Amino acid sequence: MTSRILPQFELFMPESISQVVEHLKRYGKKAAVMAGGTDLMVRMKSGFFVEYVVSLKKVKGLDYVDYDETKGLSIGAMATVNQVRDSQYVQDNYPALVQSAYENGTEQTRNVATVVGNILNASPAGDCACAILALGGYVTLQGPNGIRQVDIDDFWINYRETERKTDEIALEVVIPPPRGCVASFMALTRTRKDIAKINAAAAISMKGNLCNKARLALGAVAPTHIRLKKCEALLEGNEITDELIEKIGELVPTEINPINDVRSSAEYRRSVSGVLIKKVIKKALG
Amino acid sequence: MKTCDITLFVNKENYSMTIPVNRTLLQVLRDDLGLMGTKYGCGTGECGSCTVLMDDKPILACLTLAALASREKIITIEGLEEDGILHPVQEAFIEKNAVQCGFCTPGMIMKSTALLAKNSTPTEAEIKGYLEGNICRCTGYVKIIDAVQYASKQMNR
Amino acid sequence: MASIIGKRIPKIDAKAKVTGRAVYAGDLKFPGMLYGKIVRCMEYAHARVLNLDTSEAQKFPGVVKVLSPEDVTQKKYSNWVIDLFYPKGFAELVGDVEDQSIFTKYVRHQGDAICGIIAKTEEIAEAAARLIKVEYEALPVYHTAAQARKEDAVQIDPGKPGNLAFQLPEQVFPGNTYGWGDAEALMKEADLVVEDTFYVPKVKQCQMENHTYISLYDDEGRMNCWTSTQMPKPVQTKISNLFEIPMSKVKINQTTIGGAFGVKLGMIMEPEACAMAMSVPGKHVMVSALREEDWVMSESRHPGEYSIKVGLKKDGTPVACTANFLTNGGGYYSHASGAPAVAGTWIIGMYKFQACNFKCQRYYTNQMNCGAYRGYGNPQSNFVLEQIIDRGLKKLDIDPVDWRKKWHKTTGDDGWMLGVPYSSCALDACLDQGAEAFGWVKKKEAYKTQTGTKRRGIGVAVMNHTSGAFPFLHEHSTCTVKLNEDASAEIITSASDLGTGAHTALQQIAAETLGFDMDKVHMKVGDSDAAGYDIGAHASRTIYVSGTAVLKACNDALDQILEKAAISLETDKEALEIIDLKVCVKTDPDTFISVEQICYEGVNAFIDGATGQRIGVPGQIQGYSSHYAEHNSPPFGACFVEVEVDTQTGEVKVIEVVSSHDIGKAIHPPSVEGQLEGGVQQGLGMALTEETYYNEQGLCVNGNFTDYQMFGPSDMPVCKSILVEEPDPIGPYGAKSCGESGLVAPTGAAGNAIYDAVGIQFTGAPITPEKILKAIKEFGLDSDAILPFGYGCKDGGIPNLK
Repeated sequence: MTSRILPQFELFMPESISQVVEHLKRYGKKAAVMAGGTDLMVRMKSGFFVEYVVSLKKVKGLDYVDYDETKGLSIGAMATVNQVRDSQYVQDNYPALVQSAYENGTEQTRNVATVVGNILNASPAGDCACAILALGGYVTLQGPNGIRQVDIDDFWINYRETERKTDEIALEVVIPPPRGCVASFMALTRTRKDIAKINAAAAISMKGNLCNKARLALGAVAPTHIRLKKCEALLEGNEITDELIEKIGELVPTEINPINDVRSSAEYRRSVSGVLIKKVIKKALG
Repeated sequence: MKTCDITLFVNKENYSMTIPVNRTLLQVLRDDLGLMGTKYGCGTGECGSCTVLMDDKPILACLTLAALASREKIITIEGLEEDGILHPVQEAFIEKNAVQCGFCTPGMIMKSTALLAKNSTPTEAEIKGYLEGNICRCTGYVKIIDAVQYASKQMNR
Repeated sequence: MASIIGKRIPKIDAKAKVTGRAVYAGDLKFPGMLYGKIVRCMEYAHARVLNLDTSEAQKFPGVVKVLSPEDVTQKKYSNWVIDLFYPKGFAELVGDVEDQSIFTKYVRHQGDAICGIIAKTEEIAEAAARLIKVEYEALPVYHTAAQARKEDAVQIDPGKPGNLAFQLPEQVFPGNTYGWGDAEALMKEADLVVEDTFYVPKVKQCQMENHTYISLYDDEGRMNCWTSTQMPKPVQTKISNLFEIPMSKVKINQTTIGGAFGVKLGMIMEPEACAMAMSVPGKHVMVSALREEDWVMSESRHPGEYSIKVGLKKDGTPVACTANFLTNGGGYYSHASGAPAVAGTWIIGMYKFQACNFKCQRYYTNQMNCGAYRGYGNPQSNFVLEQIIDRGLKKLDIDPVDWRKKWHKTTGDDGWMLGVPYSSCALDACLDQGAEAFGWVKKKEAYKTQTGTKRRGIGVAVMNHTSGAFPFLHEHSTCTVKLNEDASAEIITSASDLGTGAHTALQQIAAETLGFDMDKVHMKVGDSDAAGYDIGAHASRTIYVSGTAVLKACNDALDQILEKAAISLETDKEALEIIDLKVCVKTDPDTFISVEQICYEGVNAFIDGATGQRIGVPGQIQGYSSHYAEHNSPPFGACFVEVEVDTQTGEVKVIEVVSSHDIGKAIHPPSVEGQLEGGVQQGLGMALTEETYYNEQGLCVNGNFTDYQMFGPSDMPVCKSILVEEPDPIGPYGAKSCGESGLVAPTGAAGNAIYDAVGIQFTGAPITPEKILKAIKEFGLDSDAILPFGYGCKDGGIPNLK
């Protein structure tokens, strides 16, 4: 309603995932799930009206940050950005995710906002979301018809639109084990605390001195985060020389469709996209 | 539910009440509990004036539903002083003239106490990074950072 | 007793603020208090109200009253108070108008007030506000002077043809020009002429406290208003005039000010709050803005196109300067005859040109109204003057510090007000000490040849400001020093402290002058019933003028002490002096009477039962001054900025800023430093990141802290503040002002530093990475390209359109 007063709604505080799903099945679009709530609260104060808020606060067992060598990193729906940032598993295995966590919001929001929430928010400028797109993985959804996994590459459909159906809850995001993959994340902002004008992440695994697999993610240059498939193809199977990186820098602007907004211009985003990708590749390689 | 019963643990006191579910923690602290130190600066989580500690972590009261803060340990600026003795961060802000208009001060102090509780010897860069999200328009942050460094020294003596 | 002047003591209000106990207007609660909501037009920037239907809102449960425009006084007003600071005749001459209504039927900018709702709670008021139905007739929207002055443009004020709100009046300023000499004619004698049109942005004060007012029309028919205005006494006058009640029926309670920077130089929502209170007598009404409303309904800095032409001789001798500030003023008149004209005075007061001419025009537009923001035209002038000078100096290969040192005006030269010479000037010392601390010479050498993708650059700028507004505006402060019977004192004043530390410094002045300990002196502030007149806080006047009033009132109290002591000691006043709280005979210090005894007996001159005589000299001591400032001691300052530009992304990192200020005497040094450091944050923001953006419809698109980007802790550079203390002959204890100065020179210095770093000059602020990268790609580093002010903006002609 206003920045001081929320619109009226009914609040549910279910204690199990199945109860959550029941509410979502019953109310569909009229309901919003609240994990950390930082995005939802701001939206509700800016005119977004929803009749039912389903809080995950009382659902036990959703705040995990687990790791094993086979599955990789599992981040539960209620695990906060700071929990993920400060987790030893993440610090040891996913430095790109740590870097993106430091960029994501401020210390106060990071104590409350969730990584899964950042993915569900589907803002093309999301920082953790960008790193996760590069790292790869999947989102686990549970609905009335059971549990399914959606690859992160397929998860964002459009600006603020995801694969999640209105009767589904996102339980977790799972990121594969690094297995020698090196990755990095960077963002350009107007001031330090700002939402990214453009952000980028690179995850590269080598076989000998050739690039085996590369995933390059770029944010705020399209309605969703995108992977730079042409650039990735150029890397895979080749030695990553300075010349190749330069070529990639020139190719990046051809894969993106940025817009003008209050933070920056399409022209600028196009100009720096290549620079940023080059920097993030070099940073990943060390 | 449209209203709910909550119990807030604020500054070591219990407060039980029935509130509409759409009430924020900021509204409850100020309007229901009369704890005016926590401020409304923007209401949308951008300025940090409403920073309080929940479970010893800094959070934004304006983006927190009071209903979901039930049974959590909350400390506001009023809860820092113990038996009339100011917290070293409060003393430092006075000593280093880090207070001008004072509106950002409660949030800034709560944030700084949380930092020093987590890391009692932060570097200047760590202080700056941690304080992002608390806006001050008066000081240019210079003396605020001095104050946090001073408090750190005093607390490690 | 050791002097308290210059001591780094804790501020008197610091403890209340660090404990969260300082009371701001929004923290006040009164029994039975109602909540007032101002319903604003947020959908249009220019429109007529065809129909206002409040019927549904009136029926909403919990709504006490709904006030339409007809339900309140129809008297017009102007929310600024500077129009009170000169005679009515002069106001007529300059064309001042009162054009604001409490609730309007003609929307001149987004956020204009349409009607008011008084309800039992804020929730009810907000819900009822949604039931207000307004039918508008949309009108064309004007963003710039160019659009507003077109032949077919809608006349926003019928009394202001062509939508020209103000220019310097011909009768007082022939050719609508301020300055000396014929600069255009003299320009022919210059060896080098540099000229350009710059754009200065529409930056916002962004004080952290959001606007809240409480009014009560009480049973004595008094209008009580709790407000954090900077100017309580003038606001008392304005409320009295607006509601046509005697001043004795108006009480202004000034609450703790949570930042102002000029946005509170007058009234903001006091008229609406008081009108609401008048409609519900006996009940307090709290009216509180939302942060999103601050960006549309309070006033911004004056933006616009600022043209300047400077002529120099080959050896750098300044010949002539002409400047024209064309500002897009917003929907109403407030401050129209203020900042646009005052902007030029800072150019007038800076350098020893043989001729210097300034003109200005403010046009009505449909963006947020322009008002007062720290510096009052000076940051704009600095951005423009200091950069055009450096452009010329680069061509002449003259060092920017050396040139400024040689050619700045100084003691005895005409200041910003022609005919009023500078009483002191320590700018040479500011430049020397600043350059030394900054490492100007070393850095200049080091950055001569740079390779790699990062480029460092250094820039300098100098400034002059003012200490109070004499003689241009009325300057008057009163003070009463009330001595209690135990020789402790209350200093009663209407001087304001915006968070600057002014009250602490005034208390230091009082304690020093009286010879009392600080904790025997109390500042009684913020109560218009108790205190006499004071202009309030603007024009950096508080220490210089209010401080002098305090000093004089204390001297008056001391004089009364001496008079009474002379009677008690049966001698002449001239034979006495006060040492350590004892009034002693100069030639025989063992003969004395204590100040405390004088005070005690003054209050309690009992009749001795035995003698029938009074014990002591009766009469409680109250020192008083009604101080009309007869002087001005403008301060000077220098600022040095070092930047690092990433030539691949255009990003600017500000590495170091050194601010050296000609303070005269720092009464409270940490507060002076705080003013300089806070000013750096705002000045850098203006130069590099801050702007208020609008869409085609005139609606603000970045009215929040996420999209209006200010420098945060990690963006701030290393800041050094140098206080150059060469005592001024007039200021209290030698002090000159500093409240506004710190914001000024960083704007020009930052521009110059970027020019130095990339060899391209940007005439449009903010100088964003988008502009820098585009320019580097288009023109190349060190191309000496000079970019038009609309470069990199969506619409080249309207830089703040998004």
